[in-house]
Parts: sequence; C-alpha cells; structure tokens
Amino acid sequence: MARFSRIAIANRGEVAVRIIIACEELGIETVLLHSEADINSRAYRMATKAICIGSSATSESYLNIKANIDGALAGGADAVHPGFGFLSENADFAEAVAKAGLIFIGPSAESIRALGDKVRCKELALQAGLPLVPGYQGGQQEIDILIKEAEKIGYPVIVKAAAGGGGRGMKLIHSSSDARELIESAQREAQSAFGSPQVFLEKYLDRAKHIEFQIFGDSVGNVQHFFDRECSVQRRHQKIIEEATSPSLTDDLRRRMGEAACAIATLGKYKGAGTVEFLLQDGQFFLLEVNTRLQVEHPVTEEVMGIDLVKMQILTAQGDFVHDPRNLKFAKGHSIECRIYAENPFLGGVPSTGILGQVHWPEGPGRRFEYGFESGDEITPYYDPMIAKVIVWDENRPRAIQKMIRVLKDSVVFGVFTNIPYLLEVLSHNEFVMGHMTTRFIETYFSEALKQPVLSEVQKQIAAMAVGKLKFKQSSSGDSIPGSSPWASYWRGV
Amino acid sequence: MEMVIRVNGVDQKVQAEVIKGLLWVHHCGQTFTVDISSGSRRRKKSAGSASDQVAAPMPGKVTKLLVKTGDLVEKGQAVLVMEAMKMEYTLKSEIAGQVMEIDCAVGEQVTLGKVLAKFKPKSES
Repeated sequence: MARFSRIAIANRGEVAVRIIIACEELGIETVLLHSEADINSRAYRMATKAICIGSSATSESYLNIKANIDGALAGGADAVHPGFGFLSENADFAEAVAKAGLIFIGPSAESIRALGDKVRCKELALQAGLPLVPGYQGGQQEIDILIKEAEKIGYPVIVKAAAGGGGRGMKLIHSSSDARELIESAQREAQSAFGSPQVFLEKYLDRAKHIEFQIFGDSVGNVQHFFDRECSVQRRHQKIIEEATSPSLTDDLRRRMGEAACAIATLGKYKGAGTVEFLLQDGQFFLLEVNTRLQVEHPVTEEVMGIDLVKMQILTAQGDFVHDPRNLKFAKGHSIECRIYAENPFLGGVPSTGILGQVHWPEGPGRRFEYGFESGDEITPYYDPMIAKVIVWDENRPRAIQKMIRVLKDSVVFGVFTNIPYLLEVLSHNEFVMGHMTTRFIETYFSEALKQPVLSEVQKQIAAMAVGKLKFKQSSSGDSIPGSSPWASYWRGV
Repeated sequence: MEMVIRVNGVDQKVQAEVIKGLLWVHHCGQTFTVDISSGSRRRKKSAGSASDQVAAPMPGKVTKLLVKTGDLVEKGQAVLVMEAMKMEYTLKSEIAGQVMEIDCAVGEQVTLGKVLAKFKPKSES
C-alpha cells in the first residue's frame, strides 16, 4: 500500500487538531471538511486545505455523508479520518468512503456493524465467552417463574417492561420480600403503558465502575490491548474525568478483562483503534459496549503507554503497522484527563457561548492541552460544549491529581464560563481521591449547581482597580480588546 | 491583559479583560466576573424559565414598563424593556393571562435571573 499524501478530516474542534498534528508529523497533507460556523477555529487555521461542506447545522455538514465524500474527493484526499462522534461509527459512511475509492481510517464496515450494534455485539460476546449483565429475557411470564429467576440473578434486580422505555414499567427490587408485589406492579404498568405485560429482569449494578480497554488491531489482523482506563466520573452518561490506568483493578482482573477485550475484538476482525467498555462491580465485570473508533480519552492511554494512537491508526490504514511482539507492554505512571466544557457551573451547567477572550494554558512537564479554539474564536451553540481537554501525567495517582488541580487553577479562559470550578471540587472529593468512585458518584455528591463563592475584599479591590487600569489603557491606546481588531479576521485568512 | 495590582501593600498578579460589559479576572487560581455596567457583583440566580413569569435574562436596567398589575396579556405580548451592555431588550410574556405582580420599577438595576413580573395563566379561573 502506497503512502497517503493527503488525508481528509471529517470532524472539528480539538480532535481535528489532533489528527492534523499526527498527519504533519508523518509528512501528510490535510483537508479539513468543515461547516460554515467553524471558520473561526484552530483546525481551520492549521489544515493544509479547508473545504466548507455545509451550513452550521450538523445534519447539513458533519453528519452529511455525501457532503463529506464530495469534499474529500474535491480536496484530492486518498483517505478519510472520521475522528470521534459524528460519522465515526457509521458503517454506511465507512462503506461510502470505500465506494468513492478512498480509504476509511478505522475498522471495516462489517466490523462496525458486528460490534457497534448492541444485539449483534451481545451475540459475539457470548461466542467469545464474555460476561454480560446477568438477566432473564425469557418468554415465560408466570409470576413464580419470574421470582425464581430474580432469586437466581441475585438482588438488587431491576424489572423492566420489554416493550417500553423511559422509566415506565420499571421497578427496583431490593429483596425477595417485595419481589412478588413489584413484579406484578411492573406487569400492570407495562400493560397499561405499552399494551403488553411482558417484562424482563436484569441485575441492578448500583455501585459499578466504568472500566474500558483500549484495543488495537494491526494491518495483518493481530489484536492487542493497551490496558485500561477508568471513566466512572460521569454526568448523565457523559464522561467528565478519565484516567489510565484504573486505580481499582487487581493484576488478575486486569489480565482477564484485557483478554476478554481482545477476544471479542478478534472475533469482530477488528482493525485500528477501538474500545471495549465494561462495568465492574464487586470484582465481577460485564461487557457494556464496544466503541469502534478513537475515543475522546485516548490521550491518557498514550501518556502511560508511550504510544501515538492516531499515527498508529493512519499507519494501519496504509497497511504499514504491525504489533511488535518483542515490545513489552507496561503502563508507566498515571495519567488523568479533564474535559473542559463551556458551561456555567453555578447555574447547574447551562451551556455558555460567546467569543473567547484571553485563553492561557499553563505549559509544563507532563502537561498536555488539546484544544480547538483560541482567543477570538466563537464558541457557537451548534455543537458539543467540550472546548478543550487537559491531560496530565505524573509518576503516581496522587501526584497526577495534585498536578491536575494546579494546572486547572492556572488555566485561564475568558469570554465563556467553564466547568473548571466543578472539576476542582470533584478532584478534591475524598471518594475520588481514594479511587472509590462509581458511575453514581456525580449524582450522589454533585447533583446540584455549585454555590457561587462570595468575592473577598481583596478580589473586590482588584476588580475595581483592574477596571481603572483597563479603561486607562483603552483610552490611551485606542483598542485593547483582543479579537476585536479589524485586522484579526484578515490576518487569519492569510 | 496581565497586570500587577497593589492591595494593602501586597502586589497581586492578575489577568483581566472586559468583554461586553463584563470584567473577567483571573487571580490566585480563580476566575471571577464582575458586571461593570452596574459595578456590582454579577449574581447568577438560576434564571427561572417558568412560563408564568418574566425574569431578567441578564443584569441590566429596566427602562420601560408596558403593562401594570391586573392587565390582561396575550402570549408574546411585550411586557417591559430592559437595557444592558448598551442594548435594549424587550421581554415578552410566554403565556396568555393576567398580570399578577410587577416586581421592578423603571430605572431599577436588576440582577440576572430576578423575576420581574408574574402572570396567572388564562385557563385557570
């Protein structure tokens, strides 16, 4: 396979920047396929070429298969990198890219279908011998049989309407004493809400940790894993803080889970970077799902493993990457990633949009900043509120937490509110520090908006004097507000 | 812009910038904002979005009251006018009904999220 000379990027923001940097280092040109709104972004300024493929609405641009293919062809690319989100796990897109004579940087359409679809993935998991969340989905609905199945699963058990969703017909059973009453109640609710009394049972994991394994299939079909990440700190199923490796795994669990992850990926004929997600509770692990793409939190794995997953993806798609069995794999030190969201933590996390003022990321050893927007760029309401990722590495977990706290405190983002104050609270919480957090950590301890701290006397005086200094500067030098210079947009286009 | 500000004889290193009437300050590991159009601290009450009331969507000054207590309003009818960051904003009722209470006066500086007027929906009797 010949070397790629130009790669099209069907994505935006920090991941587009990440891919551009990898391409630049490999001597490959880039074509950014972007929406109208993203002209004011770092990826736009960095890409070799940029092609606007549609309006700001994602359905017209980043989710439009035809627009992306047309853009990639017009830009003279020989391959397409989908990043994460948008079309990255869309088998039809992978197929369309191949049909257009281009190479999709990721697994084959068949692999995406086999592993990405929940039902087919569970079939593969059974073949590979992977544990699923224990449950009963059988057709026999007599109450005594259901109770017997619930006992077999072990309480707490959740009973759910087979035809339903959205919480109706769903009951949590804590012990055998209330099993009969709750199952019958769920059946009645299921009947009235969905017209069918059919229910199923599933073990309720009330203190589970989210643990995932980075897997990678090379050009010739060997699958290896690059250890685990823990992403238990989630709000409404959205990850906030991720780390590698998990503070919760024993060597034995780590080995068994890693083998399970490789087994299912091998069965799915996996090529490129992917992630096998598990829930872990009381020393038992269960398959959650497989993500057939690069993951937002891939940098923490790169930091502890000393690898570059994006370059590995590109080389694999070129047919140039084979795992070296002589390379002993071990994770070194500890890495943490915090996702910086443009939101107001004192208003319960409502999105914050606007033009970025000053932005400063405090560089230093073991600190990594992945961002897609700079001073003067607009954070628009069209897309995900994640504006940056802050990643740290240190020799052990306590030192990494300490470093992350310092780095976040020294990070400056003006113009939009960020979740930094919220992240600082989480990083200092005893349960996080101890490594005991579960997926219910945020709902248990941080369900409410942060309380706005009261300004100290010193801060009030600083504010008053800062206003005076800024006004003086403005009147003496004309315009001091960065980003508002009439030349700013002109220089950007040069 | 980076600056040094002396408070009580101690030099404090500060980054500060004014963006659209809001002063952003980063000092000692903390970012805070001050609304400099009113000079007071920007208060961020949860912006009540209940449809039976009109709340201030930003800190600013009430410049016009277009209805009084007891008036009947249509859905979308302009209720009052606010001024902030040198721009006028007309606030409208989200429902049809009757004005129950007006909790501000012309010329008053109001904080973000302050409830300015309350309504009784038409359907309720």
